[in-house]
Amino acid sequence: MPRTLLDIFGNPFIATGVGIGAVMTVLSINVLFCIWFERKVSAWIQRRLGPMEVGPQGTLQTVADMVKLLGKQLLTPAGIDKPLYHLAPLIIFAPVVASASLLPFSKSVALSDLNIGLILVFMFGGFAVVGIFMAGWGSNNKYALLGAMRSVAQNISYEVPLLLSALSVVLMVGAQGGGQIEIGDEVIQLNGLNLSHITLAQTSGLWFIVFQPIAAVIFFIAILAETNRAPFDLPEAESELIAGFHTEYSGMRFGLFFFGEYSNMFIGAMLATVLFLGGWDGPLLPGPVWFFFKSYLLIFVMMWVRWTFPRLRFDQLMAFCWAVLTPLAIVNILVTAFALKVVNG
Amino acid sequence: MTDYGQLIAYLGIGFALGIAALVVPSLIAPRYKGAETEKTYECGVDTVGSAWIRFGISFYLFALIFVAFEVDILYLFPVALVFNEEMFGWRAFVEVFIFLLILSLAIVYAWRKGVIRWTR
Repeated sequence: MPRTLLDIFGNPFIATGVGIGAVMTVLSINVLFCIWFERKVSAWIQRRLGPMEVGPQGTLQTVADMVKLLGKQLLTPAGIDKPLYHLAPLIIFAPVVASASLLPFSKSVALSDLNIGLILVFMFGGFAVVGIFMAGWGSNNKYALLGAMRSVAQNISYEVPLLLSALSVVLMVGAQGGGQIEIGDEVIQLNGLNLSHITLAQTSGLWFIVFQPIAAVIFFIAILAETNRAPFDLPEAESELIAGFHTEYSGMRFGLFFFGEYSNMFIGAMLATVLFLGGWDGPLLPGPVWFFFKSYLLIFVMMWVRWTFPRLRFDQLMAFCWAVLTPLAIVNILVTAFALKVVNG
Repeated sequence: MTDYGQLIAYLGIGFALGIAALVVPSLIAPRYKGAETEKTYECGVDTVGSAWIRFGISFYLFALIFVAFEVDILYLFPVALVFNEEMFGWRAFVEVFIFLLILSLAIVYAWRKGVIRWTR
């Protein structure tokens, strides 16, 4: 079992301080890296060079962009709904920090070890929908409102297959090794909603992607839609809606949206790693290396998809969710439940 | 302070950091204000009316199906936790089957009504 920071330091205030420092460092580096990486991947796919000027291979380009954003004037348009407009970037940004602290990246240390970790990650993910709608509605801009409406409809719809595919993993966890696992002299009762228990259930046997390939694919597609990534990026379809819900946000306010978006992508990839790819499990190398390697592999696939597939039309998007993914996920749960009862008697 | 207290602390500090990131530009950024600075951005065309107008009803219908589904899925999570315990046996499967069958009727109903196919 991973020890939490609270166990190691004893003092909750020191533990929280160290935890927040670690989370913010990892998230900031991730955002700086991901934006550079995305530009390089797109350049590579389109046979361009991408950013080359700032730093070796353009690695410091994002840092320069961040400094530029800090020095930009915050334009506030007239006729907005003030509380909603000003609160929206914070509502998107703050939950990301709490959500990232929940994911178990190592066998020995974790920031927190909660028995309902899975539910909490989904809950913090749900905050993003509220923030997006506040931004779109508060801006008093037609493009922003259209983008926000699309985004809310899309996010809440894809939440259903997302939860259903995660549910089939929760079903599996309790059945691994009779619901118990031995580590050293300790016997642990597996809990399907505890993220480190989900990883432990996979370390003793095969990864869940082997038993649940359909759920894994559904989960990945739903993550793409939840993070508003192409081909599901209709909320910000730049050719028709300018920038969607954050049209009226400039400077660092836009920076917060961007930070939240790339962090959500990272959290989605980490969650998929925990649920289907065995989390920190892997030979030779230490656990955190495997964990982050798998997560960034998934992020690379997300970018690959973005620069390969064209954008969907909105009615196709919704039909795909309700007429294909959701029924498939329900059937998958039934088959899983049936198979578990057959195997375990 | 328990683990959950820590989580709330993370959320609070997240808010504080977000506010800090917005305070810095307001100290160092230029403050220009012209006649057009505060206009709503609509590609250079003057804005006509407010954006807070009536909107397509289809979005509302999706919200309704979502509420029906999401609440039911929340009930399924505790069921999935204890699903493999021996005392429940095959009864657990039968109950989950009936539950999901009734839940699927929501999709069938919406499909028949043309919500999913986006007909108006």
